[in-house]
Amino acid sequence: MARLLLIEDDGETAEEIAAELADCGFEVEWAADGIEGLDKARALRPDAMIVDRLLPGMDGLTVIEALRKDQVRTPVLVLSALGAVDDRVRGLRMGGDDYLTKPFAFVELIARIEALLRRPAESRETTLRAGPLELDLIARTVKRGDRVIDLLPREFRLLEYMMQRSDQLLTRAMLLEEVWNYKFIPATNLVDVHMGRLRHKVDGPGDIPMIHNVRGAGFILRTGP
Amino acid sequence: MRPPQFIHSTTFHWALAVGGVLAIFVSMLFGFIYWNTDSYLIARSDGMTTGQMNILAAVPAERRLYSINQHLKEDSRNVQYAGLFGADGRWIGGNLEQMPPELNVNDTVRGVSVVKELPSGPERRVIRAIARRLPGGEVLVIGREVDEANKISHVVGMALTLGLLPGFCLCLLAGAWLSMRAQERVEEVNQRVQRIIAGDLRERLPHRNVDEPLSKLAIIVNGMLDEMETMIHALAGVGNDIAHDLRTPLTRARLTLERGRTNAASLQQLQTVVDRAVVGIDQALTIVTALLRLAEIENSRRSACFGNVAMHEMLGEVRDIYEPIAENKNITLRVDAACHLTVRGDRDLLIEAVANVVDNAVKFTPEGGRVDIELLHADGEVILRVTDTGCGISEQERDAVQRRFYRSDKIRNTPGVGLGLNLVAAIVKLHGFRLAIFPGPGCRVEIICADELMVSGTDRHSAREFRDGITHSPKAAVVAAAKSI
Repeated sequence: MARLLLIEDDGETAEEIAAELADCGFEVEWAADGIEGLDKARALRPDAMIVDRLLPGMDGLTVIEALRKDQVRTPVLVLSALGAVDDRVRGLRMGGDDYLTKPFAFVELIARIEALLRRPAESRETTLRAGPLELDLIARTVKRGDRVIDLLPREFRLLEYMMQRSDQLLTRAMLLEEVWNYKFIPATNLVDVHMGRLRHKVDGPGDIPMIHNVRGAGFILRTGP
Repeated sequence: MRPPQFIHSTTFHWALAVGGVLAIFVSMLFGFIYWNTDSYLIARSDGMTTGQMNILAAVPAERRLYSINQHLKEDSRNVQYAGLFGADGRWIGGNLEQMPPELNVNDTVRGVSVVKELPSGPERRVIRAIARRLPGGEVLVIGREVDEANKISHVVGMALTLGLLPGFCLCLLAGAWLSMRAQERVEEVNQRVQRIIAGDLRERLPHRNVDEPLSKLAIIVNGMLDEMETMIHALAGVGNDIAHDLRTPLTRARLTLERGRTNAASLQQLQTVVDRAVVGIDQALTIVTALLRLAEIENSRRSACFGNVAMHEMLGEVRDIYEPIAENKNITLRVDAACHLTVRGDRDLLIEAVANVVDNAVKFTPEGGRVDIELLHADGEVILRVTDTGCGISEQERDAVQRRFYRSDKIRNTPGVGLGLNLVAAIVKLHGFRLAIFPGPGCRVEIICADELMVSGTDRHSAREFRDGITHSPKAAVVAAAKSI
């Protein structure tokens, strides 16, 4: 069971977040300010941290900086009401691994925490495998079993990202940020359209469906039944 | 008694200083004239005195006294002195009855003090005199009173009093007047500014004519106030828009929740109600996000992350994104970017702008229609043209669509918050480009970039940056962006 440290000064928000995380099977520790948070992070060595940016005592980014100085590499999800791109970039550069703007949906928070906990390890592998899928990064070819799947460049990138995070829920916002490199949410639901086409190619007639749409949340590439 | 306020003003101090310097200068000038004229007159008079001495000394002894008396008699101005003394110092003749003690015999002409017998009594006078011993042993003294010098010094003194004193006083008066006038203006401006601070945004600073510095300043400040008034009114307008557009979904959510709480009989019914409420709240959040994004773009400084953007590559990317969506709607999406053009800009923002335009085009084009994206280079301009066969924008709506939250009645049932074109306009403006919307059977939107903003090589690029510094300062860009609020 993964242990999480939540540093958030608003008690009510923290309570809701902690309860939701507990429901999802996480063990959650809560700290109400930056200094307490830093102490707990050092003492408890959590698997991941959720840090609010604006905290009394010591702000969230300073907490992360201090931890990084101590060579603590715990992945961090920064929560903030500041949505500007500059802030986001700064937050990430200072050591936070992901950034979520308030207010957010729980499903988004959980998906991002899962993604942080299961960050794909750095590997020199040039072939990705997920269930019957095989993706060659050099030759840029994809096979499902023996069937060769012909993909457009963008579809290839989308599948590559999903295979690196198979069996994880990926939200539309995560896909837009990572695959399309979009810093904005377009009006049209373009992720759904592209995903629909990819699914059509990956899950042929008679195949067990691999790409699943989780209603109101996002998509998942399931390797098992 | 308290001294008047103008005494402390810098204008008055300056006037005082200028008056003082002028007085010193004029005094020096007069002094110079006085001393030069004086020494010239004395030299001339000395020459004449020496000449007289030579003539009288050469006269034979028996006629000498007669000649001296004759010489004195011819002096109508009564400035000549002469005296003949015996070898023992005894007075023989002439109007000098005593040998002046400072006078040395056989010396050159020099100033000595003598006593002159006047009808009003004896009077001490300073004269220029010379003494010479004659062959017979007598001493002859010839002198002359240089009264011209006295007259000149008198005239100079008079001139100084009559000219300088009134001049200096005039200087002080002018200084006092100017400083009082400036103080009045400042007081007047202060009163108006206080009114502006108190909230009267229509108040302006007073100004008279254009050439006066204070008026010039007032005109500049008034220009700034005009700009700020427009901006503040625009902001207030935006505030109203936001209030309206946020209240609509929030009201819906609130009513849904309230009714659900009273009426829901089962958990499932309650969940349905909550889902609907969440949709309403999400819609409100989308508006907030869009507005923040708009503010962020409008307030961002030009060229912060500007680089070279290859337009044709960018269009390729936009096509990749929208082709499947268009295909799903059975719309033909055609990209014609034959020419390879590179402009200077923020790549992410430009993609966002173009994607927004294309998004709109695809959204408002009915099935079976077509959307054309073209990149043209014509008439010294780079034109990115997006044409669709949708419902189009009517002439009356052309300006309205660039306003915030404007949604045409024709598209009321299409999802969206009505900020898309605002975003496009803000991004286009930030880059110094132009946005043109043409009505027609469908809709044609053009993003126009003047050739100067195009980059075709490294040298043009640096030249552009130089130009940038002059005409597109970040501040100007911010002002331009602020205007669009």
